[in-house]
Formats: sequence, C-alpha cells, structure tokens
Amino acid sequence: MNARAMTLPSRAPASAVAVTALAPVAAPWPLRGTSSVVHPRTDADFAMERYAGGDTAAFGQLYDALSPRLFGYLLRQTRDRARAEDLLQQTMLQIHRARDRFIAGAEVTPWAFAIARRLLVDDIRRNRRVILSDDGDPDPGVSSLDRADDLVHAGELAVRVQHILARLPHSQRAAFELIKQEGLTVAEAAQVLGTTVAAVKLRAHRAYESLRAALGDLDSSLEGRKP
Amino acid sequence: MSSLPPPDLRSRILDAIEREPVPSRAARSRRRALAVVIGFASLLTALAVVGPKMHARPAAYVAALVFAWLPIAALATWAGVTPGRSMLGRPVAWRVAVVTLTPVALMAAWAGVAMIWPAMLQDTSTIKRHFICDAATLGFSIGPLVAFTIVRRASDPVNPRLTGAAIGTAAATWAAVVLHLICGYTSGAHMLFGHVAPVVLLALIGSVLTARTVAIRTKTG
Repeated sequence: MNARAMTLPSRAPASAVAVTALAPVAAPWPLRGTSSVVHPRTDADFAMERYAGGDTAAFGQLYDALSPRLFGYLLRQTRDRARAEDLLQQTMLQIHRARDRFIAGAEVTPWAFAIARRLLVDDIRRNRRVILSDDGDPDPGVSSLDRADDLVHAGELAVRVQHILARLPHSQRAAFELIKQEGLTVAEAAQVLGTTVAAVKLRAHRAYESLRAALGDLDSSLEGRKP
Repeated sequence: MSSLPPPDLRSRILDAIEREPVPSRAARSRRRALAVVIGFASLLTALAVVGPKMHARPAAYVAALVFAWLPIAALATWAGVTPGRSMLGRPVAWRVAVVTLTPVALMAAWAGVAMIWPAMLQDTSTIKRHFICDAATLGFSIGPLVAFTIVRRASDPVNPRLTGAAIGTAAATWAAVVLHLICGYTSGAHMLFGHVAPVVLLALIGSVLTARTVAIRTKTG
C-alpha cells in the first residue's frame, strides 16, 4: 500500500484519522527521495525552481502548492488559527529568503515542512506553551453520521486518538503525524526529522502499534455496550 | 474548523516578500566565494606571520604529514560543510561520520606516516607544548570557521548543532594541516593532545556557537 494513498484529505474528520491510522504501517514503503530512486517533481519543486531562477510571479504558485498542507500541519499542531497563520507566513518568508541559495533539483516539500517544524518548535519554546491535543474540537465532517451512537463513538475515538498521540514519545508522534496526517513519504519524513528512513519507519510503526492497541481496547468496550 | 489558510493570508505574504528583497543568486555566490577566499587567506597569512619551520624534521616527513591530512580536511569540508543536493544538507550519518571519524582518520594517517619515520615517534614535548598547539590550532581555524559558517548561514532547520559540529571539525582540520608546517613536535602524545584534540574541541564549540548562525530561526523585533 502506498503511504500517500493512506493519507487523509486535510479536512478529514478526526475520527477518520483514527480509523485510517489502523492502516498497516509495516507495509512496503515508497522510498521516494532516496538516492536510489528519482523522486517525481511536484508543482512546488517546479515553482521554486522558477522562483529561484528569477520568476517573481512563481512565488504565488509556490504558496498555492505548499500552503494547504503546511497550514493544515501547523493548525493541527497549534490548535490556534492565528499562530498557524503566523507560522505559515514565517515559513514562506524563510523560503523566500533562501531563494538565492536554492539548489536546483532539490525537493521543496520536506524542506518546507522542516522549516515549519523548526519555527513551530521555536514558537513553543518561546511561548512556553504546551500543545494540548485534547481540546475536543469537533470536526464538522462528523455531522454526516446521523446515529447518536456513531457520533458518540466517533467523538470518543477522536479524543482517544489525540490522547494516545499526545502520550507517545515526541519522536514517534512526529514520525506518525508527518506520514499519516501530513502525507509525507517515509523518506521525506526522515529528511524533515533529520534521521534515517529506518528510524522513521520504526518510530511510526511503534506509534501505530500503540494506537492500534489502544483503539482495539476502545472498540471492544464500545462493542460491548451495543445491544 | 477549516484547515485551509484564509484567502487574505496569501496577499499578506506576497506583500511581505515584496518588502524584503533577496540578493540575486550570482551576488550570493560571489559573497560566499569571497568569504571562503578570505577565510583561507587568513589561515595562510597566519602561517606566513608565524613562519614555516622544519625544526629537526625531515622535509619528506613534513610533506607526507601535510599530504596525508590534506585530503582528510578536504573530505571533511565536502561531507560536513557543503549541503549536497538537498536543501536540508547531507544525510545526518555523513555529518556524524565527519565529526566522529575525522579525528580517528587524522591519528591513523599520522600513525601511517610515523611508521615510515619511526625516529619521529619520540620528542620532548610537554603538556605546555600541547596547550600551545591547541591554542594555535584554534586560532588558525578562525578564518575557515567564519567562512564555512557564512556559507551555511541560516540553512539548517533540522540539525544545526550537528552541522555546526561538522563545520568546526572541518575548520580545525584545515588549521591542523597548516600547523604541521610550524610545530616541530612529532610524538603520538603531542599529535593526539596538541593537534587532534583541538579538532574535537572545535566540533564542540561549533555545535554551540556556529549552530546558532547555521540554524533557521524566527526573526524577532
């Protein structure tokens, strides 16, 4: 199964994140971005190359290609739209500042995520804030479920997933979120986290196992409550 | 809650980048090349000021040491300082290898040369002489260190400490190469504590000081 195929659209309900999280992590991973495999060029790659080459208008296209995923990532991490907007702006400014030293052929997406993550970490340190993942912000997508039990189930599942993710070691959580929620390949996540592909696989797999075990408990308890 | 950025953010960001012009790629390349030239020129100037000294060493021994350590310095610079083909720099393992293996490679190369000139294994160096060479290596490495730091300024969002350590290692290795042209002490202890130890020390310094410049940080104020 392709890792990208397992990712969610950015507006997917939180419960869907939980359900999709059960997709097998141990499946063969695409190693896009490694030296042995030529990575397909994305819109962001083309736009950045043009921007670095002097085409000022290409920055708008670069923004369009990167901002939805980056903003989704920052919003999920901060749970604060204003902070996410501020961090997205800073990330795009850093990319702009690197215009004159952009390396032709380099991948833009993992680089952009790495910048966003660094700025996010700095922001957290500066503000001494704890990211709380359990604010229970219900996603409107859940409203499509019309049965009250399903609503309760989905809500519990979403909260439980967030709780479990929040309890995971930071390295596991970061690997899991970048791959499962942000749709990065393992190779890209490894670049963002500054580690090896094998380490990211292991971290994501451990996170997945923790999540599966915890969600398995929840599922059986909910099944037991149903008539 | 929508996870899409608000429509007005795009125009705000585009306005912001218009207010912050970036030098052209050619201008930046010129500046980086100038930094490297000045960095190495300062190293050679320091050598000229102190003056190369052979002491009681055979010229072939000195040449062999310099040519044994020179490729190590070049390799450390290539693997630890240059970013390669990724905007995130070379793989972590490469930089870890630079920091950990360079001192080992330097000692191994010295040992190889010393096998050919076993008489050079003995000298009258003291702890004070070790410290003098430590200080000289650190002093000589300032030029390359500043140059490499300028080359990698604000470029590493992931592992700036590791990149800083690799930069420190590479800079100190160049200084250690030059020091062979000055220092007449050749024993294993002096080589280890006077010439290779500062490479490790500068890696530590780089991981703290250089890392701050190499890191991508939020602009404040």
